[in-house]
Order: sequence, then C-alpha cells, then structure tokens
Amino acid sequence: MAKAEYTVLGTSIPRQGGVERVIGAGIYGIDLALKDELHGGILRSQHAHAKIVSIDTSAAKALPGVHAIVTAADAPDVRYGRTYIDRYMLAKNRVRYMGDPVAAVAAESQAIVKQALKKIKVVYEPLPVVIDPEETMKPSAPTLHDDMPLPKNLPPDAKVKNVCSFTTVHVGDPEKAMAEADVVVDEVYETKMIHPQYLEPRIAAAQVEPDGRITVWANAQAPFSVRTDVARLLGIPLNKVRILSTELGGGFGGKASGITSGAAIEPICALLAVKAKRPVMIVLDKAEETISTTIRSGAKMYIKTGVKKDGTMVARTGKVVYDAGAYSGFGAMAGARCTNMLGGWYLMPNCHIDGYVVYTNKQVCGPVRGPGGPQAAFAVESHMDSIAAKLGMDPTEFRLKNTPKPGDKIIGVAKLRDVSLGETIKTAAEKIGWGKVKLEKNQGIGIATGSWIESAGPGGGAIVKVNEDGSVTVHIGKIDMGTAPRFGIPLIAAEELGIPVSDVTVVNVDTDASPWDAGTVGSRAIIVSGTATRLAAIDARNQLFTMAASQLEASPDDLEIKDRQIRVKGTPSKSIPLATIATAAHNVIGEVIGRGYCDNQAMMAEEKARGSSQPFTAHACIVEVDTDTGNVKILKYVAVHDIGFPIHPVAVEGQIEGATAMSIGQALCEQVVFDDNGRTMNPSFVDYLMPTINMMPRIETTLVHGYPGAGPYGAKGAGEIGCVPPMAAIANAIYNATGVRITKLPLSPENVLRALKEAGKA
Amino acid sequence: MNLTINLTVNGKSHSATAEPSTSLLDFLRDTLNFKGTKLCCNTGECGACTILFNGRPINSCVTLAADANGAEITTVEGLADGEKLHPVQQAFIDTGAVQCGYCTPGFIISVKALLDRSKHPTAEEIEEAVSGNICRCTGYAKIVDAIQLAADRLEGRS
Repeated sequence: MAKAEYTVLGTSIPRQGGVERVIGAGIYGIDLALKDELHGGILRSQHAHAKIVSIDTSAAKALPGVHAIVTAADAPDVRYGRTYIDRYMLAKNRVRYMGDPVAAVAAESQAIVKQALKKIKVVYEPLPVVIDPEETMKPSAPTLHDDMPLPKNLPPDAKVKNVCSFTTVHVGDPEKAMAEADVVVDEVYETKMIHPQYLEPRIAAAQVEPDGRITVWANAQAPFSVRTDVARLLGIPLNKVRILSTELGGGFGGKASGITSGAAIEPICALLAVKAKRPVMIVLDKAEETISTTIRSGAKMYIKTGVKKDGTMVARTGKVVYDAGAYSGFGAMAGARCTNMLGGWYLMPNCHIDGYVVYTNKQVCGPVRGPGGPQAAFAVESHMDSIAAKLGMDPTEFRLKNTPKPGDKIIGVAKLRDVSLGETIKTAAEKIGWGKVKLEKNQGIGIATGSWIESAGPGGGAIVKVNEDGSVTVHIGKIDMGTAPRFGIPLIAAEELGIPVSDVTVVNVDTDASPWDAGTVGSRAIIVSGTATRLAAIDARNQLFTMAASQLEASPDDLEIKDRQIRVKGTPSKSIPLATIATAAHNVIGEVIGRGYCDNQAMMAEEKARGSSQPFTAHACIVEVDTDTGNVKILKYVAVHDIGFPIHPVAVEGQIEGATAMSIGQALCEQVVFDDNGRTMNPSFVDYLMPTINMMPRIETTLVHGYPGAGPYGAKGAGEIGCVPPMAAIANAIYNATGVRITKLPLSPENVLRALKEAGKA
Repeated sequence: MNLTINLTVNGKSHSATAEPSTSLLDFLRDTLNFKGTKLCCNTGECGACTILFNGRPINSCVTLAADANGAEITTVEGLADGEKLHPVQQAFIDTGAVQCGYCTPGFIISVKALLDRSKHPTAEEIEEAVSGNICRCTGYAKIVDAIQLAADRLEGRS
C-alpha cells in the first residue's frame, strides 16, 4: 500500500509497455527486419576439446547466395573475457567446448546459410575432454589454457591446475572452535548446471552506416558492455559503434554479461556485416542457444559445521569447486559469491572456506539470477536442517538461535544495520502452519532462508527531459525485461514531478543517447536507475521552480507541483501550468534537462558506516512424496521477503514469484546433461524440462516491512533473492516427509526414488 | 514446388505461396507479417506460438502452412476491437501478468479459447488450458489471477 506521503509510489499502476506486449506488436529483437538484410549463422565446434588443424571455406564460398564467411583469420587478433582475457570471438587454433564458435556465414536465406555451414570443412585433432571440475583440478588433467596463469592468491602448497580464480574466506580460529564443538556435521552438496531459458531467442543484427559507423541491434541486458567488446574486437573506437536495445523477451542474467553471454554473437554479426557490405541478422535456434550461451554453473560444496549442544554454531569449514566452463566468463565473481555464501548469513564466529573456480570443457558460466547464491543456499540451508536433526532441535528454532541482530557481522559483511531474517522465519512458519498443520503419510514440511548483497557494482545515471507540454522522457542505461525500468521507474519520475504516470515515458537504451550503465543486472535496476531517476527528477523540478518563482512571486523553495501545476505551497490558487514553464524554457536554456546519478562509492561508504541493510527471506513449503515413483508434489508454498519499501508491489511480487519458480525448476527437474564427450544430451525444450503450471504451486508472497534499504525511498533489489531458498526448502520438506536427505540436485523422480531405495524407504 | 495457401487470418483472407516444409508460424510471421505470434522452441513445447486454428488452440511452429489452406486463423493481433483491448488482454495488463511479455500472446490465445468454451472455468480447467504455455517470468501466479479476472469481466461479475 502507498505510504500516506506518496501519491503513486507504493501503488501498482500497470507496467508501461503492457499494451504493445498484449496486442502482439513486433517489438522484440526477433521481430526486427532490416532492409536488404542477409541471414547469418554460426558454425560451432562439434568437439568439446580439439586443435583446429585447418578450416576450408572454399566450397561454402562458392555457393550462390553466400555473401560473407568469417573465421578467426578475418578478425583482429584480440581476445575478450572477464577474469582472464582468454577467448576469441571465433575460435583460433583450438576449441574448448561443443558449441564454441568457429566460423560464420551471411547469405540470402536461412536455407543457404545452413547449406554453407555444412560445406565448411574443419579438420580437428581431438584432445582429452574434461567434464568434472574436480578431475580437471588434478595435476594429471590436460591443461585447457596454456597461457593463462594460476591465480596469484592460491595457497603455495595447492597442487591444482586449470583453476581460473580462487577465493578464501577466513574468520577467527575455525580449527580450534571445531575441536571444541559438541556436535560436528560434515556433508557434501552438489548442484547441476541449468540454462536460464528465457523464451525469446537471442539475436544480433548489424549494419554499417554510410559514415562507416556500425549499428548493432541486440537483445542484451547490458548494451554498454556489448558496445565495449564490439569496438575492442573490431578494433574501432567507441564513438563508431552504436548499440540499440530491442525489447527483451526475458534474460534472467543469461543475457547480462556483455558479449560473453551470447558467445560473441554481436561482434560476429558485425564482422559479417562489414565483410558482406550488407546488413546481417543472426537468430539463435533454441537448441543452439542451450549449448552455446552462458548458464548457471554447477557447484560441489563441502560443508562442515561445529555446534554447541544448545544450538550455537561455533565453526564452519568448507570448500567450493565451481565450474567456470571453457572460459573464465563470470565464473570468478559467481564462484566468489558462492564461497562467501557457504559461510551462511547467520552468526558464525569462526570460518574457513576455500573456493576454486575451474575450467572445464563445457559452456561458460554466466551471472544467472543470483550468481552463486542458489547453489550455496542449497548446501547451507539443507545443512542447517541436518544439524538441527542431529541436535534434536526444531529447524526454525535452530535458525532463530543463530540469527544475527543489528550491529552483528556475518560472513562477508562487516556490520548489519537492520536484520529482517528473524521476522521472515517467524512469518514463514506462521503462514505455512509450522507445528500446527496436520501432515498425511509421505507429506513433509520444510523451511529455508536466504539473503543477498546490498550494494555491489557500478553506478549509473538518469536524464529526465521535460517536454514543452509538461510530459517527460526518461533516459536510463537499463533495459526493460519485465523489471523495474517500466514498472517502478516511471512512478518515481511521476512522484517527484507531480504528474500522472502516463505523462512519463522511459525509453529503451540507445548507447548514443542513454547514460552509461552496467545493465539490468544484479538486482540493481531499482537501486541504480531508481536512485538516479529520483535525483534527475528533483534536478528538473528545481530548474522548473527557479524559472517559475518570479512569475509566481515566490521563492523556489516555497513551490510544489501537483496535478501538472506548479503552485505556491499553501496557496493553490497561485499556480502556473508545468507546460507553460517547460515551454518558456525554450527561450532561456532550451529545455529543462534533469540529471541524476547513483554514486556507488557513496552508497558503499554509507553501508560501511551505517551497516548493511541487505534483504533477507524465508520460504516454507509442504510437499508430498510418492514413494512408488519418486515424484514430489508441492502442496503449499510461501515466500516471505523483506525488500525494503516496495515501490511497485505487484512488480516486486512478480520478481519474487518468477525467481522462486526458476529455482523450483532447478529443484525438481532442470539440468543440462552432458555425456562424457561433452555433448549436451538435452538441448531442446523437448528434453530440457522446465516448470509448467501443472507442477507449480500457487506461490504465496508476503512482504515484511520496516527495514529500509539503500535504494530510493528505502527500496532494495528484488530480482534475484527469490532464487536463493527454494531448493533447500523443498529438500528439507522431502527430508521431513521421508527421513531421507538428498544432497544432489535435481530432486527429480529418478533421483528421489534412488535415494529412497538406498535408504530402504521405497 | 511452392504451394499457394489461401486462408483467413483475423477475419481477412490472404493468399501467398509457401514451400511444403514451411511451418505455419514462419508463414504467419515472415510471409504475412503477423509478428505477434512468437517463435521460441520450434518444437511445440513452449506455447509461445499458439494460435486459434478453426477455433482450436494449436502450436503453429509444428503445423505446416500447407495444412492451413482454407483454415480460419486467429492470432493475438485479431483480438482487440480497434483501440479497445479484449478483456483477456486487459486482464493480463491489470494483474501484472505481463513481465517480459514474450509468452503473453500465446497465453492470451490459450485463455481466449478456454473462455470461449467455458464461462466459469474451474481451477483445474484453467490449469489444463495453459499447461502447454511456458512462462519463465511470473511463476504463473499473476497469470492465474489474470485468467480469473478476465472470466469475471466477460461474465459481468467484475
């Protein structure tokens, strides 16, 4: 509900851009059609690891209708990457996963593209394939990147290889504390790789403009990151590249990591357009996308905790082995987050965890919805229940016993400001009927909690242009994929400028016009663009008041805007239309343009001084396990979240419910399956199972209030945290139902039945 | 080799040629320029390409254009009455069931087919009607709200 002091903030006015989506307007990347465009396609490695001996494109070139073929030889000798710059846009000399781009074709039709790709002759010399990260770390494993050094911070005695990043967390004296613990629980958990499977296929389209500049259309979450690498890889300055964002049919982090996300589809498309001297568009086939683009990595997590008899946790040690895939991608960041989160978000005075991010011959790790968090939480929150069981304590009581208070520190956070964890646990327990609901045979109840970071990542800006009719146009650097840019952001501009939300337009990203931004990533849209839009709107308002003051014979400080009128506070009859002042600006400064920024350094300094007000959550569910088939049905599911002040409550609920559904998918059915040769066994939607409405419970969302965050008006990011608790909540409910602890995902009928049989319960 | 396809789309007759292997989805999108029907899995699994084929909801990606000769097709573009949205479309907007919106046209068509045949759909009927449509954004909660609201509005209950 709206706070009394706000007009539109806290209401759920329908999203902008809704009408074009329900009438089927051609707004998405895939709907694009450029004049005289050619179709592009990519030849992908059919080996997970091999030397490229030769590439012969002559037969393909000879095909009528083929306009351009490109290989690594056509591109500047420049690589890209995040942790390590370890990857060419088109494989040079070597391929490292089945799906690595090797060559690309532009031709008159899709059919000719397919024929041409088949006629490119690549001679490979296969190399040993490594799929399991723990095997890959062994000194006997083949080296995947000859020229990439091991991380400098590795312990001197670590006998490992193929590690592209290492993180260590150390607090107190875990060895001593573990020895003094009354009870020690030692477990290993494992999650599988999943694909975000946004529904809209990834596209890129490119054309060379008459002045030589290159325009690229992309359905990417971070258009400015795409611009950086398109320019770098083509060897041209940034002002010669323009990225136009199409509307996005979903992303979930799968389109978030610049050109890494799409395995360089954007620069490859641009290279084709340059060579063909015609516009080119590439659309990825869904199965091609499943095998070639960035994913949520699998993690193996060793976790050991020492506790006192009264339930006080005293020590934790652990190890994370995180799968980076064939190139470093987002692996270092996601793996580090996973390593930190394995320490939990409870009181933990002594802790040591080592996190290894490891190259394998698989597709590349991306920042999929809460990178590292859902994996860690599956281990941490399943483990919490194992400890509670060993202590004979109730799982909610055990968690509450170890819940931090304001001023406390948790692993990775020096000081907490507000702590909603306890309230979310109690509320979730109440909503699910903890200790009260009557469970039938084979039914079980489970709870799991989660948290997410408050401020991490670059700042960003906003520009609010006041048009002469008093309507405003807002430029931010974040794209709309069903997230804050066209839900909460328009409300902020409308609130500060005293205009109806319908008078606000938030435009899509054009790197020539929009302020730089790291993209719609990391639950950052409301924090970065929300903060910036608020300050930009206030800046615009101040300019309007300065101009209106003399006409209203009042001080600018005494003015306000209500219902499109600038008026003197307390004397509504003394007013002038906003449009009149905006028009008058033409003769003065031309246009009222408000500017605002989210200063991330200032936000981090504030967090350091006052403590973090990061979001917390608790999910609880009731499941029924069919002990004949292993099928798990979720009968009831509650998601309790603190996300600070909800600027657009329906949008917040939508983010939480969608994120929860994704992790319910990972819990019950989703995984990318590889054979020993590194071939994906389930690339198409026929075999890659995702939740349909049949397997989804109604997610009952509750927001708890009173814990303001670092975002505008006390908001916190809401996009990712819903992904954190579900897998453990379900695993814990299965344990409660059957007494069997399952430590590997997915909790599919096959795996549940196997676990029940091994335990003699089926 | 090309076939001539005569069909009605959203009440208007169209005639165009297609190869025997062309899917109805590609024919609608690329030949007739009805971009509202979305391409996703191309294997009949996700429902993004759902259209009404002689009144029945089908996946147009796994239907041949050739099989649509003489058919009456309704796509999402055919639902609004000028500027006035169809109640199902309006309900999707009003309940927050449209996040990225890519699955939305397919859902709306499936729901229209449901409400054409059932004025008071039960929870089971609603689930059955959209069980072939995948949404990755919403977790389906707000979509169920939208369907219920649309049913109520169509019957003047809300």
